[in-house]
Amino acid sequence: MLVFAFALIVFAMANVGFSLKGRLPSGVAEYLVAYLVIIGAAHLAMRRFAPWADPLLLPLATLLNGLGIVMMYRLAAQVNPARGVPAISASQAALQIAFSAIGIGGFIAVLALIREPRVLQRYTYTLGAVGIFLFALPALLPASISEVNGAKIQIRFGSFTTIQPEEFAKLALAAAFAGYLVAKRDVLALAGRRVLGLDLPRARDLGPILLAWAASLLLLVFESDIGTSAVFMGLFVAMLYIATSRTSWLLLGFLMFVAGAVAASKLVGHVGERFDIWLHPFTTVNAQGNSYQLIQGLYGMASGGLLGRGLGGGQPYITPLVQSDLIISGFGEELGLAGVMAILLIYGLIVQRGLRAAMSVKDPYSKLLAGGLSFMLALQVFVIVGGVTRLIPLTGITTPFLSQGGSSLVASWMLIAILARISDSARRPPPRPIQEEGLTQVVTLK
Amino acid sequence: MNRALRRISIAVLVMFILLLVNVNYLQGFAPASLASKPNNARAFEAQFQYQRGNIVTADGVTIAESKPSNDEFKYKRYYPYGPMYAPVTGYDTLYSQTGIEKAKDSLLSGSDSALTVRNVIDLLTGKQRKGANVTLTINSKAQAAAYNALVALGKPGAVVALNPKTGAILAMASYPSYDPNVLAAHDGAKLNRADRQLLTDKAQPLLNRALEGTYPPGSTFKIVTSSALFTQSPNTTVNTNVDSPTQLTLPQTTHVLHNDLGEACGNGSGQTPLIVAFAQSCDTTFAKIGMQLGAPALNDMAEKFGMNDPNLTVPLPVAQSDYVMPPSQALTAFSAIGQFSDTVTPLQEAMFAAAIANGGTLMKPYLVQQVTASDLSTVQTTSQAVLSQAVSSPVASNVGQMMLAVVQQPEGTAFAFRQSVTGIAIAGKTGTAETGQVSLNDAAFTCFAPYGNPDIAVGVIIQGGGYGASAAAPIAVQVIKAYQTALGNQ
Repeated sequence: MLVFAFALIVFAMANVGFSLKGRLPSGVAEYLVAYLVIIGAAHLAMRRFAPWADPLLLPLATLLNGLGIVMMYRLAAQVNPARGVPAISASQAALQIAFSAIGIGGFIAVLALIREPRVLQRYTYTLGAVGIFLFALPALLPASISEVNGAKIQIRFGSFTTIQPEEFAKLALAAAFAGYLVAKRDVLALAGRRVLGLDLPRARDLGPILLAWAASLLLLVFESDIGTSAVFMGLFVAMLYIATSRTSWLLLGFLMFVAGAVAASKLVGHVGERFDIWLHPFTTVNAQGNSYQLIQGLYGMASGGLLGRGLGGGQPYITPLVQSDLIISGFGEELGLAGVMAILLIYGLIVQRGLRAAMSVKDPYSKLLAGGLSFMLALQVFVIVGGVTRLIPLTGITTPFLSQGGSSLVASWMLIAILARISDSARRPPPRPIQEEGLTQVVTLK
Repeated sequence: MNRALRRISIAVLVMFILLLVNVNYLQGFAPASLASKPNNARAFEAQFQYQRGNIVTADGVTIAESKPSNDEFKYKRYYPYGPMYAPVTGYDTLYSQTGIEKAKDSLLSGSDSALTVRNVIDLLTGKQRKGANVTLTINSKAQAAAYNALVALGKPGAVVALNPKTGAILAMASYPSYDPNVLAAHDGAKLNRADRQLLTDKAQPLLNRALEGTYPPGSTFKIVTSSALFTQSPNTTVNTNVDSPTQLTLPQTTHVLHNDLGEACGNGSGQTPLIVAFAQSCDTTFAKIGMQLGAPALNDMAEKFGMNDPNLTVPLPVAQSDYVMPPSQALTAFSAIGQFSDTVTPLQEAMFAAAIANGGTLMKPYLVQQVTASDLSTVQTTSQAVLSQAVSSPVASNVGQMMLAVVQQPEGTAFAFRQSVTGIAIAGKTGTAETGQVSLNDAAFTCFAPYGNPDIAVGVIIQGGGYGASAAAPIAVQVIKAYQTALGNQ
């Protein structure tokens, strides 16, 4: 299966080369060999550290990561005639391979260090603190090193490398939530009154959800990052629901997020603008200004139609940020409806395998963690793909595995590693029972 | 916990179904409407990736074609005759279009629904998609004569020639014109420079005067006034004596109207046969007739000739030729001789003569003969249509006789172009309109030929040309001659 995924990427890469240059371009071989080596390492590590892990997870992630590299290579190989430069530079495309290597390093490290998912439960509060610190870090730092496109989500090192700490914060907080909720789930689930058919929680148990809500509002207001805030809130509410099975938490969380978002859209210009772009993208003022990016993405996907214009055959360079937030529109343009549906189904499969692991694993902590992380991945895909295709307002978050950028890639690989670890412990056959005394041992004699 | 997880799975399933449905809508159903958005660069550039159809004249001369290009687009638009056909073809730039390029864009580009089946067949058989060819009604000889005559004169103006029997536009030239090839450039900066230069040019080369310019018709409007007279009083003949004072004081004013140079009309007796007054173009006579007929009758007749119609397309949009209801008798007098607020397009000028030439039936002018797909099968054919019955056949015959007298009688204003000089029996009417703006008047001429069995009607307006007979009529005669030669009548 891994071989099949890799063969697809080789084919896609060759397709780009032939389409843009008319021949197999130099440099492609290096890209592919490098990717093959790191994927091979990941495969060996999984055989060694998690032999019973779900066999679909690695090939699916490999395919997505590989498609991302192909798109980076493709964007770097074609000059935008209007600007005279490609959408991203060749070195940025090469960097994506390097980030893939780091990401798979993270994947291997997680598998090697966390032999048993429950180990993480010990560090619940440590992880929680680390997560909140990472979330808050860009908001606390001066704008000169943290602000990008109106959102304060980055930490810049030098002129080239940036880190988005929130990508890692989400993982740490998911693990922390899982630990907290496993400890408190009984009291959250059972205490409280019943009003209008809903089990309302006790006021003092509202503490954690209020904290999460406050944190996501903080994100909204100080870092202008609506997408991550939504993903974060969704993650927390979903985990609360899984832990308690109580619908009231879902409703409460949802209402609080909507209230917060509506308030923010009125108070924070950046947020209100997003709604305006979503509702009225084609007005003359918006089309030339704020919604230019969105509608260029839509035009790109429309020009791709059912089968796409072929890798290298479209004009994705017209769409601003096609290498990161709007990468799905680049795929839509060149691979068409068929390609986008395939990519969405790959995401769907990963999420489904994660949820399956959550259901089959026995330990409640692992259950909660796998369920939460799978849902978070699904929500992130929903928020960004839904945003680009104008199903919901567009907010700038990364598309897991596909978008340019190291933090997201590394965090996504770590997420896959945790899912692989949990699926490994779910599928591992029970240890052979020790022979009980008193039974006659049969010894074959020669 | 598994029950909650199962519900979460269902929520995830719903989210992915929403995404898939939305993507299906976006890429399966929305592309057509998104492609027509004005700022969709991809959709616009896409049309340069395959060969656009040709624009061809009725006699087979290609006036716009797409040639292979070696820049980022596969094809580049090329206009072999440059400015001569610019008012007809228009241009096709990266960002905008005009003329036939715009009016027939979906067919030329091949995106029209009428071509969908052929495009699918081309796709399946591996043939390159190609747009449909548009065949116009233009006669290349008449067009060349019209444009070259305008260039030789060197004054802003326009010529339109019609086939009076069908409404087919045989020539449509405007001067000064522009070279659409400079706007077909693929280099954005170069294109913007050329575009800015044309837009800011004081001579307004981008203005298609033939259809979009409106000018006072001057005495050519006497065709309308006479038609209204013959229609209202059927007993009137061309030889009926009418009041023709040398001077006419307009009612409720002290303004004294006299003929162009203050000369007497006819023999100076104050009574002249109508045909003489028409040939000599007596303003006093027709001002008086106009006041007798009244503004509503004039307005009614003007509209029957096609004026006051904001919706005429050929299929290029045509500016409205105005007859504005005059608020007083004095101004009615002016409106009857083509002054006051009367304005007409050169096309309207040709339509005056065309209606008379066709026995009073005005045919709807049209520019596109037919559209053929790249496999030469016919996609569209323009069918002839009657625009209006301007006047009855006897009235048309009377007005036609008077128009012949303008050219054939010694007192006629266009006697210089009589049959013994030009070799063709031309019937026409000159017009010299006081514009009040420039020192020189606008010159107009409308005519048809050959008298008896007309096959061409021409309208000419020259801005600041002076006398209709000296500036506009010679151009019309050249177009008529060129067309007759092309038909083999000479």
